Amino acid sequence: MLPDEVLLQLNRDFPCRESQIHQLAALYSQTLPSPSLLVAHGLTATAKSTLVRAFLARSSLPHAIVNCRECITGRHLLEHTVAACLATVEAYYDETLDKRPFARTDSLSMLAVNLGKLLDGRDKFVLVLDGVDRLREPMPTLMSALGRFGEVIPNLALVLVTTLPVRNLHHPGTPHLHFLPYSRADLLEILGQKPPPIFLTPPSAEQYSDYTPELAAEDDAWLWNRFLGAVWDSLSKHTGRDLISFRNTATRLWRPFVEPVISGQFGTRDFSRLMVNRRHLFQLEDSVLDRIMPAAPTSTNFILSKPTTAPGKPLPLTKKKTLAYDLPYYTTVLLIAAYLASYNPPRTDVTYFMKHTDKRKNRRHRTASTKTATSATAVTKTKSRKIPRHLLTPSPFPLDRLLAVFRSLVDGRVPQVADVGTQIATLTSLRLLTRVGAQGSGAGDVLEAGARWRVSFGWEYARSLGRVVDIEVGEYLVGGVD
Amino acid sequence: MEHQRCYIYSPTEPEERARKRQRTSKPHFQAQLPERLQTFRDMWSHQEERIQETLEDADSSTQEAIANFVSASSQDTEDLSLAIPTALIILGPSIASHGPFFERLGRRIKHDTNNIYVVLTSGESPNLKTLLKNLIKKVTSRVDDDDDDDEMRRPLATSRNGPKLLDFDLGHLQEWQKRNRAQNIVLAIQDSNAFDASVLIELVDLLHSWLDRLPFVLLVGIATSAENLEDRLAGKTLRYLQGQKFDVTQPDEIIEKLFSATVARPDARLRIGPNISQRILKRQRDHVQNVQDFVDALKYAYMSHFYANQMSIFLKDGISFEDLSSDDVEVARTLPSFRSRVEQLLDESRVQEVRKLLDDDYHTFRVLTEAIASGQNALSSLNAAATILSRVRQALQMSPEVMCSTIWTRAAAGEIIGSPFLRETMLLVRRVPSDKFAQLLNALEHSEGDFVIDPRPYKQELEQLLEQNPDSTPLRTQHDVRNDSVRTTVVAQKVLLSKHKAALSKQDKAYSELVGRFHDEMECFFSSAFINPQTLLLSEVLIYDLKSPHTEVFQPKPRYAIERALALPHDYLGCDCCSGVAGKGEGSALSGTQPASAILYQMYLESGALINVSDLWSAFHAIAGEGEEEEDGESKTMQRGLAELKYLGLVKPSRKKTDHIAKTMWKGL
Repeated sequence: MLPDEVLLQLNRDFPCRESQIHQLAALYSQTLPSPSLLVAHGLTATAKSTLVRAFLARSSLPHAIVNCRECITGRHLLEHTVAACLATVEAYYDETLDKRPFARTDSLSMLAVNLGKLLDGRDKFVLVLDGVDRLREPMPTLMSALGRFGEVIPNLALVLVTTLPVRNLHHPGTPHLHFLPYSRADLLEILGQKPPPIFLTPPSAEQYSDYTPELAAEDDAWLWNRFLGAVWDSLSKHTGRDLISFRNTATRLWRPFVEPVISGQFGTRDFSRLMVNRRHLFQLEDSVLDRIMPAAPTSTNFILSKPTTAPGKPLPLTKKKTLAYDLPYYTTVLLIAAYLASYNPPRTDVTYFMKHTDKRKNRRHRTASTKTATSATAVTKTKSRKIPRHLLTPSPFPLDRLLAVFRSLVDGRVPQVADVGTQIATLTSLRLLTRVGAQGSGAGDVLEAGARWRVSFGWEYARSLGRVVDIEVGEYLVGGVD
Repeated sequence: MEHQRCYIYSPTEPEERARKRQRTSKPHFQAQLPERLQTFRDMWSHQEERIQETLEDADSSTQEAIANFVSASSQDTEDLSLAIPTALIILGPSIASHGPFFERLGRRIKHDTNNIYVVLTSGESPNLKTLLKNLIKKVTSRVDDDDDDDEMRRPLATSRNGPKLLDFDLGHLQEWQKRNRAQNIVLAIQDSNAFDASVLIELVDLLHSWLDRLPFVLLVGIATSAENLEDRLAGKTLRYLQGQKFDVTQPDEIIEKLFSATVARPDARLRIGPNISQRILKRQRDHVQNVQDFVDALKYAYMSHFYANQMSIFLKDGISFEDLSSDDVEVARTLPSFRSRVEQLLDESRVQEVRKLLDDDYHTFRVLTEAIASGQNALSSLNAAATILSRVRQALQMSPEVMCSTIWTRAAAGEIIGSPFLRETMLLVRRVPSDKFAQLLNALEHSEGDFVIDPRPYKQELEQLLEQNPDSTPLRTQHDVRNDSVRTTVVAQKVLLSKHKAALSKQDKAYSELVGRFHDEMECFFSSAFINPQTLLLSEVLIYDLKSPHTEVFQPKPRYAIERALALPHDYLGCDCCSGVAGKGEGSALSGTQPASAILYQMYLESGALINVSDLWSAFHAIAGEGEEEEDGESKTMQRGLAELKYLGLVKPSRKKTDHIAKTMWKGL
């Protein structure tokens, strides 16, 4: 067993993980034998790896930790493991080893041999494979082999950190250590330990001379804890229940949430009024989405000013700008044509794209059909539950069909210049169009006649493209949209 | 079609070859080529400098911002949030310009700080392993050119004693970093759109797990939009990235800038004509948005002028009569602009002068060189006028926003003089209120010395007037609509409407007079500057405006050419045997004398998606066949024709029906 103060400290650093810490302490003590294999499993953000690392760092056991995320192939993992064990042994026993016998580890059996050689005649050695189920290109027998390692190397104690319990271990009686997902109370307790400040710059001392830092910290903790509960109940309970998502959501919402307090509209303890005032924060989904860029200040301004000023001005503008960036004219039309070719069945092309058919007739026909569908819902329900076409996967189309649709969309003649081909090739390298079923000659001619294509963007994007060039895409789409 | 794999094909030899005619004299097509080339190189090097300057200038602010971002990210590495600092650079859909951009950016970043800058492209990173190998190779080899202390590094390599690092292990980088202590390792992903999403996700995952040891900064070049990238990455990956978005100047703005820096620049000695510049701009707008393409088109225009036009020798700097060959002046006399000048002189009955022009070579030469100089002056004042017109419109914020390049092309085509466009602008100038007038003068002041009217005296006067102005409302001219009032009088049950000018204050009067002077001077300038450049003597030399070389090189029509060759072979063959039939109309164009593939193609056009080969054969036989005995040879030619069509990708074997082939291409697409 570890000394009690270490356990206490671990418990302080990792709240709500008492049972796991005790189990670890019981299994990996200096004197008692340890299991040859332990599977520590739990969902993301349940302190698996961090706890195991912290525990081993504080125990005085020799141990090596291999992060499987950093290993590109199975072979890489093996090499990495041997290198890590070598480094640990050298550092722990403070000796210089002859590393030449360990120069190559290209298979699992080599790993067993090498580890055996290395640990022969030494004390217990803990090897942690962190995230071993996430390994890229693993060997098929990796798990079952690891399960048997204890039989070959008696003084090796292997710890596998995984998300789910390992299935194909083929080794009954392996101890599993489950890291339960945190409950609501746990989460609130963990996050409540470090409340962020309400005032980034403390209020001026002369004006509020009695507002001491201690008082401020108390206020921070009080408001933060209530706020956390509100965030959990309104947002994180339903999406992103793990600790990190919850924390991210809460920190994203915190600054806009306390803004009225900073401006002096409410006091620091006016939680219920603050909630009512800031309720729109909890109604939007922006805060639960992970973005590369931090949310643009303009949009938050918009949200903040929403109750006072007339809504609907800045937000749609920014949205439009991000969706439809500037493509050359024909390129845009080509993309729309590709979308239509992907989502319309070829046999309807005559109805939709023949120049001499009356388009109004089509439209009337379609609206009539949808009207009947809505009026006689019972009938359609039994007949077929059709999925709207734009929600299905795009189907591939040959090049000539794309060009034909393209020409029927553009008013007037388009010369048959090579630029059209260039544009298709460019769109392919932008991955807006993807080439499918290119047999053998994958790297060959992009515009080969036999090749088939498919779009890789959705309805929203196609519609916004259409708006740029004044083509209402929905009118050409079979089945219509909305 | 499949039963006989190969044939011996023996073409019938024509009995007698036409005799070759000998060329008797040496042609003079390439007279003074070296001199013209030299002139071209001189001019183009100037243009190229301007282009480079403009490009660097265009994205210098973005690059500055990115460089700042990179150096700022190195300072807060202690932050516990641990996300890879990422700059999302929205580069727009012209992928050809991404490479040069990252090159310039790299120079900047390396120059500024102790950073390592590596560009990764999708071509060299089909999977994670190759990507990492390349990354390591690029980072570590960069040091080799810097310092040569190989013996220092040798013992560090763990290869000899102990486990070797695999060549895609980032441990190499870690070792390297231990020695070099780079502030940042900047990874530029040049074309993120072309990367496999899975490769990107794995890369980010890996970089993130190494972030505590290696200071990575990611620069992601995006052709579409940041949202597009976010959609492609996994939610977890997004959590590992934290960054900022940088927009690069839109390509159409850059093109506009380039246009005014190259084509519409004041001191250009050779002008690109309105037709071709319009074509270049239209191509940029409709098909490709690509700076490189614009530059290429421009260079090609210059090259065509100097390589192919003998008269371009007149553009040489400081040309003397001895430089010319005897032909040159003679050739110049055949130019349309020269002829029209002569006719004009004849109309004015200055026969002596015409006689001299036609006879005296030296005199003609002097006239021509003068014409070049005056023509260049006229063109540059035309250019200045177009620029000023667009500036005026910009300063007055006139509503249909017309690009400077558009105004320029119209001016160069001689369409601006007396157009409603110009008139409307001038009317607005006439009744401009004083606040806008000040803006206008400011805008004109900033435009360099290309404006003949000096705005400064006007400005001084305006300032004096404004000082005297008692209230803050802007001064208005007498033409301003607000000074008009309509008075109604009822005389004998008829309503008379009469317009009255409101009484103008003293300042307003003075102001109207000032604006009036300005307007008159400007109008005078415009009417003298906006000429039709085609009327200039030697305009053929001063302006290059040939359409077909440009279209043939930059906008070829390969598919159209093949379709036309097959459908109307006479257009290409020009033989007598086919022409008679083709003359009657397209329907009856089929004849046995045409090549087999052409006959087959015309029948192919009439058929549906699946073609019965046996039917095709009988139809072919009916047209090409002359007698029973030649059937074998015919079948050979037909098979050859079909094989040719297959080679062109027009047909392919079909499994849907026996003895059928599938049609894969339609005409006119």
